[in-house]
Amino acid sequence: MENAFDMNMIGDFVPTLTAYLPVTLYILTLSLLFGFVLGLFLALPRIYNIPIVNQLAKVYISFFRGTPIMVQLFIVFYGIPALTGLIGIDTSKMDPFYAAVATYALSNAAAAAEIIRAGVGSVDKGQTEAAYSIGLSGSQAFRRIVLPQALVQAFPNMGNMVISSLKDTSLAFSIGVMDMSGRGQTLITSSNHSLEVYIALSIVYYAVAVLFEWFFRVAEKRIKKNQTRIVTVFDMNIH
Amino acid sequence: MQFDFPFIVSAMKEMVKTIPLTLMMAVLPIVFGFLVALGNIIVRIFRIKGLVACSRFYVSFFRSTPAILHIMLIYLGIPPVADQVSSFFHLGWSANEIPVSMFVIMALSLTAGAYLTEIIRSGILAMDTGQVEAAYSIGLTHSQTFRRVILPQALMVSIPNFTNLGIGFLHTTSIAAIVAVPEITGTATIVASDNYAFLEAFIGAAIIYWVLTLILESVNGVLERKAARFQGGTL
Repeated sequence: MENAFDMNMIGDFVPTLTAYLPVTLYILTLSLLFGFVLGLFLALPRIYNIPIVNQLAKVYISFFRGTPIMVQLFIVFYGIPALTGLIGIDTSKMDPFYAAVATYALSNAAAAAEIIRAGVGSVDKGQTEAAYSIGLSGSQAFRRIVLPQALVQAFPNMGNMVISSLKDTSLAFSIGVMDMSGRGQTLITSSNHSLEVYIALSIVYYAVAVLFEWFFRVAEKRIKKNQTRIVTVFDMNIH
Repeated sequence: MQFDFPFIVSAMKEMVKTIPLTLMMAVLPIVFGFLVALGNIIVRIFRIKGLVACSRFYVSFFRSTPAILHIMLIYLGIPPVADQVSSFFHLGWSANEIPVSMFVIMALSLTAGAYLTEIIRSGILAMDTGQVEAAYSIGLTHSQTFRRVILPQALMVSIPNFTNLGIGFLHTTSIAAIVAVPEITGTATIVASDNYAFLEAFIGAAIIYWVLTLILESVNGVLERKAARFQGGTL
């Protein structure tokens, strides 16, 4: 079946895989940017209860949070050629990269919409009332008073969403995307040392995630400089 | 491009048969993971030397790396070790006899353990420390305090998180299709392989997952309301 387990190969595989890390990060960044913007457009109808758009947004969010990311990947991957085929454009040879970015953007939008909605909900209603009382219009009140505070509250959840999205991108290879995991698959076929490749992949993903987590922790501390600390069960001296 | 509507229904009929296996691969890891998480929590609360760092690394690693890697590491890493153990003790079985879904459940149990540790931890953090002090002051032992005071309150508060985890793991089982486990997504691929109607098959799979998720979400609502009955104010 396989050659003997070789620790040194892991050391060789890590640089090879890291060379494709930019592709993974590119997919992640694009999908987060588009996803956040789209998520904002989904959250607003939900927050302000705009008649039909609210229900549509609800269904959209329910679908993209209620189905696995892999199934979404396949639906978008096979669906784009099907849809464009209806209007005569042949996209069957399209680079799966675009299908992956599209899928992750649509999925992240649903997650972002929920996070933004929760963040806005946590802002004290008095803020909006005060804004109206000094003459700000509805959209000014939202843009200048509510949204900044909502985003600060939502920041930890956003951080979790970013790392969660990073983990989701590891599935893009299943539709043929040549990102870090995709390179891992080709390494497995060429070297026949699958366990070593997966260990190397784990190391790289772990390192990137730890970096992200550190960044979000530091950023969160700076954003929330003035909150008091709460004593918890874990701080007690139980001996 | 022909869109084959009837095929969605026939594909779904095949996939519905694999729902039990899918649910098993989602629920068992959460059950085993819960035990693993309890171990982690006990280590952290009582600050058992040496194990706290292990616990932190375990949770950090399994929450920061994709689940597909966990499955692959266990699926590729355990059989050689198990075969060595088997030949050392002359037990006579080989790892080839273990079905892949077992490895998936093993791997996902470790994943679930990490997430559940954080969920239970956050539930405990939300608790009032006065409860624990009061418990010790009336003479409860460590184990009694943990079982009767800390854990029930932490779990009650964490119900939405548990359901979210359940839904998340239902979705994570779809990854098992990559290792050829015949669950919902895997069956979709198989069923569509003769007529290449992949889009229809995966739409059917999406509908099944969506319905299962909606059912789990309504169960969450019921559980939350039941738990709220016990959460009166003070006296």
